[in-house]
Amino acid sequence: MAVLLVCVTFPLIWVGGLVTTFKAGMAFPDWPTSGGYNMLAYPLDRWWHGPFDMFIEHGHRLLGMLVGVVTIIAALVFQFREQRRWVRWLAWGALLAVCLQGGIGGLRVILDHRRIAMIHGCVGPAYFAFTVALAVITSKRWREAAGVPASAAATRLRRLAAATAVVAYIQLVLGAVVRHVPEGAAVGEFQAAVMFHLIGAAALVVHAVCLVYKLMRNRELSAGMRLAAWGLMGVITLQVMLGAATWVSKYGYPRGLESLAAMHDQAFVAGGTWQAGLATAHMACGSLILAMSVMLAVRAARLLRPVGSGVATAQAASGGLLRQGLAEAAS
Amino acid sequence: MTNQLTGAISVMDSKHSPMPGELAPSTHHRGPVAPLAERHGSWSRGAAWAAWAVAVCLTFAGCGQPEVEFGLNRLIVPPVNLVVQSREAQLVDQNRPAGEIAEELATLKETYLHNEQMLASALTAVFGTPDDPYAWPGLGLDIKKLRMAAGPTGVRGVTRGLYREHCVHCHGINGDGLGPTARFLNPYPRNFQLGVFKFTSTNQGRKPTTEDLERTLREGIPGTAMPSFRLQSPAEIEALVEYVKYLSMRGEVQNQLMTAIEAVGGPIDENQLAEELQVALDLVARSWNEAEDYIVVPAQRPPFRSEQERLASIARGKEIFLNAGKANCIGCHGPTGLGDGGQVDYDVWTKLQREQEARYPGLAQLWPLPVRPAEPRNLHQGIYRGGRRPVDLYRRIYAGIKGTPMPAQGQTLKPDEIWSVVDYVMSLPYEHEQASPAPPSVHRAGL
Ligand code: HEC
Ligand code: HEC
Repeated sequence: MAVLLVCVTFPLIWVGGLVTTFKAGMAFPDWPTSGGYNMLAYPLDRWWHGPFDMFIEHGHRLLGMLVGVVTIIAALVFQFREQRRWVRWLAWGALLAVCLQGGIGGLRVILDHRRIAMIHGCVGPAYFAFTVALAVITSKRWREAAGVPASAAATRLRRLAAATAVVAYIQLVLGAVVRHVPEGAAVGEFQAAVMFHLIGAAALVVHAVCLVYKLMRNRELSAGMRLAAWGLMGVITLQVMLGAATWVSKYGYPRGLESLAAMHDQAFVAGGTWQAGLATAHMACGSLILAMSVMLAVRAARLLRPVGSGVATAQAASGGLLRQGLAEAAS
Repeated sequence: MTNQLTGAISVMDSKHSPMPGELAPSTHHRGPVAPLAERHGSWSRGAAWAAWAVAVCLTFAGCGQPEVEFGLNRLIVPPVNLVVQSREAQLVDQNRPAGEIAEELATLKETYLHNEQMLASALTAVFGTPDDPYAWPGLGLDIKKLRMAAGPTGVRGVTRGLYREHCVHCHGINGDGLGPTARFLNPYPRNFQLGVFKFTSTNQGRKPTTEDLERTLREGIPGTAMPSFRLQSPAEIEALVEYVKYLSMRGEVQNQLMTAIEAVGGPIDENQLAEELQVALDLVARSWNEAEDYIVVPAQRPPFRSEQERLASIARGKEIFLNAGKANCIGCHGPTGLGDGGQVDYDVWTKLQREQEARYPGLAQLWPLPVRPAEPRNLHQGIYRGGRRPVDLYRRIYAGIKGTPMPAQGQTLKPDEIWSVVDYVMSLPYEHEQASPAPPSVHRAGL
């Protein structure tokens, strides 16, 4: 069930990114109605054959609704089938979160406010990561995980994994800040946003490299975990390249690298395939990194938990996880 | 006409109101949140209330969106404190008594603020505001197109806000090239306010034609951050070009008025200002409207009859390119066209910046773009920012690249000489292929 939820949420992130890329957020001035129609009753052929910005914005709304419905079903299913009370609560929490996110999206339209658009863009991936965590927690492997004898190394590794997830999220928020710098902002504002985003990237790479290194050396972990760690590293590498390419497609080559421009003798097309595709892929890839690092963190918390403890410790682990991660990230 | 302008300026002190000859100001304004919500029933009324609450919070948190204004170009009209400071330094250098200095500075401050205010209202009177543009009829701008390009983005049903949607983050709200991304770009985004454009089909010192600007928008400027807007409809491109002209004219009128104000010396009165405004408007309007008369039409030349002839032309072009006494391309672009001729110079935008920063220390902090010299192009890349048809290069060489050190050669070179230089320049990206010891045909014969 949770896996299904993950599967419908990821496309939503992509389409949401497209909405911003094509500046289609305000394709309809109204919400919860679309152009005066009830969202579900919007004529199909008008949607399909209408202007592109309306097409994706309405698609985003419908997909959002689908995610909402799946979340409701998931919450109900867990309510009856799940034994762990805290997991049932988590599922209802997901429902609350998805309603909130829908509401923020609506506010963004009604108020036409850039900052709300940004918040909407930050909560989305957080929700995605949350569904991934839910999927991990409700998986078979979670129940079978044995745990390890308490050791300082295991604790450190758990903390590192959590910190990586936190840094990934901070970096994602910084990216959203770059994307939503107001058009009328001062030169310094954009510069600061870009600087922090680059610092964030460096921090994330350092964390991820450490994490992968430690996970590789840890004999107690399954091969799946190690594979996931390599996956994370791969996606981060891809992400750095996507980020650089996005920059070049929008702002040209930085000073000193202009000679690379000889590779294409035409200007990039504003809103064209390159600009739009790269920016959206960069954004969605960011969500993927967040989701993967959260998955690693949650699984590490479970697999490396000190044995001799039951549900209570697992709960404490996931509860304390965020706090520990925050502390780590701050230091 | 002058009387109308005088009236307009005094009216402008309070609020922009329609003047004789003005089209009715745009009545289309975005309604506040509440009426919009009413149309969609009580459901969203609740949402609107919540929205309102959030909006209030955001406003108090300092995130509210302030009304957009053009403002004055601080390079041309520096802030009063800098003007006073620089005058003070002068007076102190002259060893004037302190009391006298204080008195003079007080007068200067008062005069300057008065003039600044007059200048600002004159500009608003003839150009309106970013949300509600207006163009003095004599300028020949199409107000309908301007309205399409101006204003905030995201208003459905009417096309509006094109400039803020597509251009403002690089070129800035008033076209001064100080958008938030500007600092990162190389070259910097164009400052439209000087009315100088690099890539035009017109002669030295002339404005671009409408078609030139449209071409720039359609094709973009390869090798720079300026993208191609070919996905926009022709009508939208026309509107954007009209807006570029409008911003440019506004900037030029501002410069001229400032020069006039400086020439007057004291506080300028309404009549004087109106007169100067009229002169400036006429001058600017004429320079733009006559651009079409100065298009460089290259002399036709017959196509090459043989490969020999082509190579001969290239060789001749090379000779001219290297001739320091004649075209002196070598002085800037270097002996092999790598752009390493060693001359350091600045373009007009940077020159103005350097001049004003020398005059008003402290301005450098306000103008956030570090000074960069104009770099002669490396001609081996095969990227031609002004277009890559031979005729584009002909015009570049004939009329120079406006605003940059690249000089016009229309007077020094004969048309067929220019064509040869074009041939040579266009052969440069492939030079190493030609320089191979034996032509490919010989290789083939030997096999
Ligand atoms: C990503 C940044 C960016 C955006 C967006 C952008 N420009 Fe530019 N633009 C530039 C840069 C950089 C230059 C300077 C190129 C040069 O000097 O060679 C430029 C130059 C220009 C020029 C001057 C060409 C000349 O011949 O001198 C015009 C006109 C222009 N832009 C119009 C626009 C318009 C209109 C828009 C919006 C539809 C726009 N630009 C959007 C970066 C941008
Ligand atoms: C005083 C220095 C100077 C001289 C002399 C000079 N150039 Fe340039 N040239 C420049 C600069 C600077 C640029 C880059 C302008 C820009 O885009 O900002 C340039 C750009 C160019 C370009 C690129 C045009 C485009 O569309 O991208 C060509 C081609 C060129 N020069 C050819 C020549 C030739 C041929 C000569 C001799 C007839 C010559 N230049 C003489 C300084 C010079």
